[in-house]
Amino acid sequence: MTDVKNIHYLQVNHKIEKIFSNEDVLILPSSEAWKKFSWTRKYFFKKPKQGYFLWVKKQINFPLFSCVLINSKKTTQDLQNLAVLERGVDISLFGSCSSLKSKLYGFHNSQGKFVLKKGASLKYEHRHSWNADDKVKAKYEFILEENAKLNYIFKSVNVPGKMEIENKAELSDDASCEIKAVIDCKNSEMKINDIVELKGEQSSGQIHMRLVGREKSIIYANSEILAKAQSKGHLDCQGLLVDESSKISLIPKLICSNKKSQITHEASIGKISQEQLSYLRTRGLNEKEAISLIINGFLNI
Amino acid sequence: MLLEVQKLKVKTEEKEILKGIDLKIKKGEVLALLGPNASGKSTLAKVLSGDTKYKVSGKILFNGKNITNLLPEKRAKLGIALSWQNPPAIKGVKLSGLLKKINGKEINIKEDILDRDVNFNFSGGEKKISELYQILALNPKLVIFDEIDSGLDLEKLKDVSKVIKKELISKGVAVIFITHSGEVLRFLKPNIVNVMVGGKIICKQKDFKKVFKTIKQYGYDRCKKYPLFASKS
Repeated sequence: MTDVKNIHYLQVNHKIEKIFSNEDVLILPSSEAWKKFSWTRKYFFKKPKQGYFLWVKKQINFPLFSCVLINSKKTTQDLQNLAVLERGVDISLFGSCSSLKSKLYGFHNSQGKFVLKKGASLKYEHRHSWNADDKVKAKYEFILEENAKLNYIFKSVNVPGKMEIENKAELSDDASCEIKAVIDCKNSEMKINDIVELKGEQSSGQIHMRLVGREKSIIYANSEILAKAQSKGHLDCQGLLVDESSKISLIPKLICSNKKSQITHEASIGKISQEQLSYLRTRGLNEKEAISLIINGFLNI
Repeated sequence: MLLEVQKLKVKTEEKEILKGIDLKIKKGEVLALLGPNASGKSTLAKVLSGDTKYKVSGKILFNGKNITNLLPEKRAKLGIALSWQNPPAIKGVKLSGLLKKINGKEINIKEDILDRDVNFNFSGGEKKISELYQILALNPKLVIFDEIDSGLDLEKLKDVSKVIKKELISKGVAVIFITHSGEVLRFLKPNIVNVMVGGKIICKQKDFKKVFKTIKQYGYDRCKKYPLFASKS
């Protein structure tokens, strides 16, 4: 991601530094898409000022990279992103949002909608890396038409002082999704809300959360699967409390209004096992290295 | 002397487990420690490797240096390695990744367990193989094998013993085998056998066959009743 050559959309503070398009993929500033394609307006949460519009019209054979950065003091980003994947296209997208140094007091406010048309498939790895003084609020919605497939992983190992995340997926017939949230909080306040709505027959959805709380962190994590049609869903939420100055609140919620649906959940909050620590220390790792390895393993899903 | 244990007493909050152990092992020696379940063998292994949960008195010297209060990672760096009887699983950490952490080198062996999470869903035999890989990666001077024979059938035990002989014993590494069955000693022929009962070493004997025979015939009680019986039979 650090190699600018490979980035298809690069925004630094408020300025778009790089934007890519070819005959199969169109990337525009969202404000321009709003003007140029009136059909996009129904998808945007509001009239966009910043952000990208990504339209994958035909199958491409390369992954797409987006990068949004803050590197100036007190920058407030207000992004409206929209991605539309036409029928049957199958793409990988890597998104990165971060601040480049501490004491910038940045605010990254981002809303995005991803529309996966019939049979489309999206593998999206979304990484956030911030500094303690930043604030982040992000809301993402995924609309999966028939037979569409989403594999979304949200990773934040450098969580800012305050972060609020919401990921929501709505699934039509035969669509499937897997949403993973991997979060390592150090002295942060984190609220995360992942929701999967199984609206279509034979749709299936999974939510996996791995949350680490350390150094006076507070994590509120809600996850929810709603089964409205004959469908399958599973919630898997695990928290790891590294020290007693932190707190994790996990609320898994299953709502079923179709008697043929199968939705299940597993949730737990644990601590680092003393036995694991002792084991790794007999392998020559000091306590800090051992804790770090255990945490990395826990977050590796 | 590579390792010298003097009057070692070990306690937990509730009780005394080791009640004054004296033990010596030279470079390249093979020492067997036999004893029934709950005799304190595994506690001794943990204490030698530096487990911090015990209250320890007495002395542990390694290459003449007092390591009684040394942290486990520092003992590992000095060359003390413990093969765990029941190693814990570390989810999300591949065995190959852990081996690289241990000695900083990539592993060029193609084996299924290297790509799996450390000890997660490993069979008994796979756990022993994994322990052996980690021990070798540590490049040790002294290895304590805690029940390396448990969970291995005779054929696998032979294979593991061959590796231990070739990669450790023949290279001058001192080895302590902790076992309650003693089967492993047939393959690894210790220089000296210590029998431990109730937190004490009650018998030391060079001829492992004699000790083994006594235990097989009369059980550990005979050693307890007549500490020198094994050497007299």
